[in-house]
Amino acid sequence: MAASGQPAARAVGLCKAYGSGETAVLALDRVDVEIDGGRFTAIMGPSGSGKSTLMHCLAGLDKPTGGEVYVGDTELSHLGDRALTRLRRDRIGFVFQAFNLLPTLTAEENITLPGDIAGRRTDAAWLRQVVETLNLGDRLRHRPHELSGGQQQRVAVARALAARPQLIFADEPTGNLDSRSGAEVLGFLRRSVDELGQTVVMVTHDPNAASFADLVLFLADGRIVDRLEGPTADAVLERMRRFDVRGGSQVTLPAPDAD
Amino acid sequence: MLKATLRSFLAHKGRLALSMLAVLLSVAFVAGTLMFTDTIGSTFDRLFRSTSADVSITAHNDVAGRNDQNFSGTVPTVPASLIPQVAHIPGVAAVNGRVSMAGIVLTDANNKSIGAIGGAPTIGINWSPGPNSPVDLTSGTAPSGDGQVVVDSDTVSKHHLVLGQQLHVIGATGGFPVRLTGIATFNTTNPGATLVFLDTGTAQRRLLGHEGVFTSVDLTAAKGVTNEQLRDRVAPVVGSAYDVKTAEQTAKDAAQTLGAFLSVIKDALLGFAGIAVLVGVSLILNTFSMLVAQRTRELGLMRALGASREQVNRSVLVEAALLGLMGSTLGLFLGVGLALGLIKLIARGGMVLKGSQLAVHWPTIVAAYAVGIIVTTVSAYLPARRASRISPMAALREADTPGRGAPLRIRAVVGLVVLAVSAGLLVGAATDKDLGQAGILLGGGVLLSLVGLIIIGPLLATPVIRLVGGWFPRVFGPVGTLSQRNALRNPRRTSATASALMIGLALVASLSVVGSSMAASFDAQIDKTIGADLIVQNSTGLPFPNEVGDTVQATPGVGLAVRGQGTRGALVAADGTQQKTVVVGTSPGLDKVVRIEMRNGTVAAGTAPGHAMIGSNYADAHGLHLGSPVTILFQSGRAGTLTVGGIDVTDTNPGGLGDEPVVASSTLRQYVPGALDDIVFVNVAPGADKEQVKSALTTALAKDPQVQVRDQTDYKKLVRGQIDLLLNLVYGLLALAIIIAILGVVNTLALSVIERTREIGLLRAIGLGRAQLRRMVRLEAVVIALFGAVLGLGLGLGWGLAAQRLLAAKGLQSLAIPWSTIIAVVIGAAVVGLLAALGPALRASRLNVLDAIAHE
Ligand SMILES: Nc1ncnc2c1ncn2[C@@H]1O[C@H](COP(=O)(O)OP(=O)(O)OP(=O)(O)O)[C@@H](O)[C@H]1O
Ligand SMILES: [Mg+2]
Repeated sequence: MAASGQPAARAVGLCKAYGSGETAVLALDRVDVEIDGGRFTAIMGPSGSGKSTLMHCLAGLDKPTGGEVYVGDTELSHLGDRALTRLRRDRIGFVFQAFNLLPTLTAEENITLPGDIAGRRTDAAWLRQVVETLNLGDRLRHRPHELSGGQQQRVAVARALAARPQLIFADEPTGNLDSRSGAEVLGFLRRSVDELGQTVVMVTHDPNAASFADLVLFLADGRIVDRLEGPTADAVLERMRRFDVRGGSQVTLPAPDAD
Repeated sequence: MLKATLRSFLAHKGRLALSMLAVLLSVAFVAGTLMFTDTIGSTFDRLFRSTSADVSITAHNDVAGRNDQNFSGTVPTVPASLIPQVAHIPGVAAVNGRVSMAGIVLTDANNKSIGAIGGAPTIGINWSPGPNSPVDLTSGTAPSGDGQVVVDSDTVSKHHLVLGQQLHVIGATGGFPVRLTGIATFNTTNPGATLVFLDTGTAQRRLLGHEGVFTSVDLTAAKGVTNEQLRDRVAPVVGSAYDVKTAEQTAKDAAQTLGAFLSVIKDALLGFAGIAVLVGVSLILNTFSMLVAQRTRELGLMRALGASREQVNRSVLVEAALLGLMGSTLGLFLGVGLALGLIKLIARGGMVLKGSQLAVHWPTIVAAYAVGIIVTTVSAYLPARRASRISPMAALREADTPGRGAPLRIRAVVGLVVLAVSAGLLVGAATDKDLGQAGILLGGGVLLSLVGLIIIGPLLATPVIRLVGGWFPRVFGPVGTLSQRNALRNPRRTSATASALMIGLALVASLSVVGSSMAASFDAQIDKTIGADLIVQNSTGLPFPNEVGDTVQATPGVGLAVRGQGTRGALVAADGTQQKTVVVGTSPGLDKVVRIEMRNGTVAAGTAPGHAMIGSNYADAHGLHLGSPVTILFQSGRAGTLTVGGIDVTDTNPGGLGDEPVVASSTLRQYVPGALDDIVFVNVAPGADKEQVKSALTTALAKDPQVQVRDQTDYKKLVRGQIDLLLNLVYGLLALAIIIAILGVVNTLALSVIERTREIGLLRAIGLGRAQLRRMVRLEAVVIALFGAVLGLGLGLGWGLAAQRLLAAKGLQSLAIPWSTIIAVVIGAAVVGLLAALGPALRASRLNVLDAIAHE
């Protein structure tokens, strides 16, 4: 686990273009960013601004078209598929916006899957703590289709936490949750940062969710346009308003979400 | 709507390709079989038509079979004196005495056989070309005198013979040296017979044993006289002792004998084609079920947009018909290839057909399209109906929850009932005394048990897969768990996929049980009945010249040599009714080399000159006792009344004597002059070494390459080899069904991979390596294949057991389970799974992680 204050991941001059020629879309445009270890970072921005793309690049799920990405001291661009897979398995946890669980496995099996794949035993005490905190104790033997959307999302968070990765990326983890369950999940992420020094990066559209973070990065048109330390919901909302004015139609007419 | 159908057909072409391959293979097998057998038929038709004389005269004989002139080495003959009698009949343009004798042997100077022994026949013919001779002398000179021979051009080129070369012909009276003086070429395709032309006198002396006789007298009709007219003029002249036939009748008779044989081949091949079609049906059914399931939302949308239930139904059926049409067309082409391949293959077995004369008759084409289109549309109908029944909203919602099909209880009840009935039938077949009825019970039992198992398959999937794949999680970790769960996810689909494999493997298992039981029973029979140390025999059972027996007797170390002959004949009852049979001749000492259970008298007394040994069944049926007279009609057409000297217990096992009468060789030859030996039993002299005697005999008999010396072990090996050959042939034919079954596994996996794209992306995102992912897919395939193997083997063993019990009465008394085959099948099934998974696994591992997650 990265010590507090040191960058757990960083990107230098990160570019990501989709397509080529005239139809090319520059999803990330020379982004320089540092994700501090042991902190809770939120990424916000209008739809299509490149949030998911940034996270995928940082997590080694996507190949940048330019620039460098470091996870810890490891530079990702010259890693092969095998090394990237191992990196994701051992050092990164992921919570996707939707479809997070394998339908054939029980909740518990889903939670321990990354460890099982790596051939590691998940620390039983830690697992119990994660499960209790996320209120999943009585749901462990259930298959995903027997769980509600919120429960499924909590199982996904538990999976990300259970393996104690250096970095957890969460793409709108509370998008499908009611505000109470959302708050529970966020509270747990917060506590894992405070008490265990976990590093968490989260994409969200919700100012309330962002207020759980230590730092909010604002993305627009593939660039980091602003940052807010120690955010409150109001402060975030305030920044977003300013944004609306600047971002114009982009926000009022959101592009269909690729996810 | 049609446009939408076409578009969706094209959009799914990748997924449909494998189904089409199944249609294609099934159709190809059916079409190839028909073309192949039609080609054999038409080749022989042409041959028979070209070789049949306008009108031919042969001796009338009720006893001798029409086409077994090589039985005992003697044939009914026509005296040469008949020729002048018919030559002057108006309308006769030419008369030819014909000698034609199959079953002779042609060897080179080193005693190496030329022409196939046991394959196509070697036929000795007198050189006497009539006006429309089927052969022409294309080089050298016609044979004249004792030492000259003309051989057909195919044989000459196959064995690189040259004019002037020294050869050896072994006919009924023994071997004699000849020199190749000419080469004869067929006007039509010669399907592989080796033709040896001798001059007429030599042919008569050496092949028939007498001068002045022919096997037939061939007449050529003068211009303006039809064959029928000529026949009607000749018949009254020669009288009822002779058969007079037109070319058409002769060709038809020959074709009929061949036709019976051909239709057996055709039925067998079509049977296997049918199995392939059946397996193909299950593949197509499964593919369409999966495609329709995947397209539920699309179909739902069409319904929501106003397409009627019938339209949706029709759209799937049109898609199926298109698939069937394309598959049939391609299958027809592949069928041509298959037929050509079969032609090449049997050419190695000695039957030469010309690929350029491939017979493609219109019924073949109709059958190909009928099979392809009907099979595909019928297989697609069920899924289509299911698709159209889904309410549009349910289809649009399309919960992708796995493993929640309709309740399986009805399936369980129906399946169990069918299985119980089939078990009853199989037990009935195993215990029924009436063979015909038992056969029907067996057929019904086989069919019903197959249906029952297919019905109940989805219910068996869970327990069986837990069993065969239960150790996967422990050995392969989470990848093992995932693969096992994936296989169990949709039991219906898994079992449908596996059932295709099950059919093929059940047949393999049951046939191997029957085959090895047959071999074991034969071994037991040999142990029980054969007392001889060594047996000298032609591997095909054909007779050989008596000089072979003389050589055996003269070989040092031979103690007792018992020479046996077999001729056609009939037992004639007091009321004149005839029972056709084989009349066996033996030299003294039969009881020392064959163990025969006697009821009355002794073997020696029964085979004393003027006596006969008969079976107990016949004796009881006709009230015969020791000393009773028994009338036997011999192959030559002469009848003799002999005295019953012994009654043996009728042994109907294969290799047993049955009700065949046994007489002394001298008695037999009194009625059938020149009957040849077809077996010599040898007991070595006291103190002589069996192995030494065996090799001495082999050396002494080198100039007669058609006979082999075998001890009991060799004999068992020979039988086992023949059974194995047959089994391998059958396995080869079943391979097609198994290939289609493999395609089914590939198809299921490929579609599953597509269905699970998002899951695969997720797994990769949380750290599953490519190799692990491939292993996951492979293990799933192995589990499915093993599931099919377990069901197939269980079913096949059941069938095999019932068949063995049924055939026990026919001599299949020992049950042998071929464990090595069964283990091979299990390992083979696992390998099949691995092979089937290659493509889908690669595809899964190549998926881009993010694309996969984003896949809707
Ligand atoms: N596979 C792709 N091919 C082409 N363009 C893409 C692809 N994925 C994303 N884009 C484009 O890249 C840009 C950034 O996309 P990204 O998914 O990162 O946005 P986002 O900020 O996560 O939006 P949202 O809030 O809607 O999830 C968008 O303009 C999108 O259209
Ligand atoms: Mg996004």
